Amino acid sequence: MRVEYINPFVEAAFNVLREVLNEEVKRGELFLKSTSQPVLGVAVIVGLTGDVEGRVLFDMKKEVALAIASQMNGEELATMDDLAKATISELANMITGQAVTKLHDLGFKFDLTPPAIITGENMEVSNTGVEALIVPVELQAGKIEINVAVRERA
Amino acid sequence: MSTISDELKQEEAEKVENIDYKMVTFSLSGKDYGIDIMKVKEISKAKRFTFVPNADPYVRGVYNLRGDIISIIDLRIMFNLPAPKQEENTFEDMIILRLDDYLIGVIVDSIDKVVGINSETIQPPHPIFGDINIKFIKGVVENEGRLYLILDVEKILGDSSREEEVSGRPQLVKEPDMQPEAEQDEAEKAGEADYAFVVENLLTFRGFHVTEFNRTWVRSRFEEWRQQRLKEGAEIQLQEEEDADRFLQPFYSPYSGGFWGGDYCSSVKEVVKQLEVQGNIMVWDPGCGAGYETYSLAVTLRQSFPNSQLKIWAHDNDLLNISTAPNLLFKSTDVPEDFIDYTVEGKNGLQFNKEIRDAIFFEFHNVLHSNPFPEVDLVVARDVLSFQKENEQAALTQEFADKLKPGGVLILGKNEELFSDAFDDISSGMVRAYKKR
Repeated sequence: MRVEYINPFVEAAFNVLREVLNEEVKRGELFLKSTSQPVLGVAVIVGLTGDVEGRVLFDMKKEVALAIASQMNGEELATMDDLAKATISELANMITGQAVTKLHDLGFKFDLTPPAIITGENMEVSNTGVEALIVPVELQAGKIEINVAVRERA
Repeated sequence: MSTISDELKQEEAEKVENIDYKMVTFSLSGKDYGIDIMKVKEISKAKRFTFVPNADPYVRGVYNLRGDIISIIDLRIMFNLPAPKQEENTFEDMIILRLDDYLIGVIVDSIDKVVGINSETIQPPHPIFGDINIKFIKGVVENEGRLYLILDVEKILGDSSREEEVSGRPQLVKEPDMQPEAEQDEAEKAGEADYAFVVENLLTFRGFHVTEFNRTWVRSRFEEWRQQRLKEGAEIQLQEEEDADRFLQPFYSPYSGGFWGGDYCSSVKEVVKQLEVQGNIMVWDPGCGAGYETYSLAVTLRQSFPNSQLKIWAHDNDLLNISTAPNLLFKSTDVPEDFIDYTVEGKNGLQFNKEIRDAIFFEFHNVLHSNPFPEVDLVVARDVLSFQKENEQAALTQEFADKLKPGGVLILGKNEELFSDAFDDISSGMVRAYKKR
């Protein structure tokens, strides 16, 4: 993954999360992964096209997703209903959107697809042919892993 | 995933259960040590050793063990550990060791017990453990919450110290005609052991794997190192990271971690003349670090092939290092004169121009993962292979061969050798290079 792409994603995630949750956000160590890895319970996928092809995946536990959705809506949500799902999808959209805007300022042209949310137990995600950059983010409610897998369009 | 961790646990449990190595454990100034039980004949308590004049300080004397005269070594004195003064008549704990064909007694603070372990759980020694020189330690093992250092008694009592002790133990003298040959063997063995430890420590301290790629260099460097250290009266072993760095210093290729000088650029130009370039030149530079090598390469190739489209994939899995590479700043004195044509003056210093920078993709990438880019004409992997594990070296070499077009060129570090049917050696001047058949 090109070095220039890394910072926009990290910065966007921090700005957006800090803004919507109104709390300090801590970053874990970035690392690379090419093998399949478990999905924690709630995953939002945003596809990327343009100069690159790939996707961003936001991965978190159900409790974390509910806590974030509750905070963003200003009311207590107890189940992953349509409102909770729409909120988490929107969060993913905001972060990716801001990252793409930053990349655009640097001269890279990215487009994104509408987010898709997937929930369930015991899931795995595999990246065939492309390695993923993992950005772990620590929140009060728990951990979100932002998994960015893109490659240059040949 | 849960099944994997279960398997791991089970494996762990099997390791513990499968006891194939027993050791006698004892303590020396509060630390726990072990000796292979196969080397131990017996343990006993003894006192009043017969003093032997003119012997080394750690030779406590000789002792009559049921009619056999054996010499007694005090391990604490030998290892410069505090040895409390004993009353004349107190019994001291003694381990009788069987070495080759003679017996020797060693005195320790107190003998603990026999501990059974799985030999797979023995880990290589780490120099921060214990007060004893690392070459005397066979390994470290944990058992019931205690760490035991396993001593290599043959190394301690079997090598050069043996000759000194002979005077104190007339009963140990070997057949006279055997001696010169045996001595030579011993010296060779000691040298081999030193070499093995150097190899081990290069791995521990710097992640440097000695394999066929670099063995020729490591061998000759070890000889040179040994002579030098003997002259300085210093330890041959690599005690710390600085030693490993000093040992490896001549290994690194010219201009490692900086811009290439004009002499190296000319050698590279010689080598890349072998390329049959049509329009595009594709290059892969794994392990590019902070980008100095990549920019030097880009400028050199631009000079050699002014009319071609240049594209370089530069990879490193050290994020901190590579993150400054795309916008590398430097001073005009840092680069050879003919590089200046390819630079522009920026706000904060000199930078390479857009043409050069646009030719390079710096990627945070682990080259052992899949490498999704087209075939390349040139691979520059200087001093990269030696820092990968042996099986990864093989995989990476295969990857280089797969990724190169026929007739493509692979540049390695100056002290790395490639033994492969798929390549011809085309090294020139300061550059070690291979051409794919």
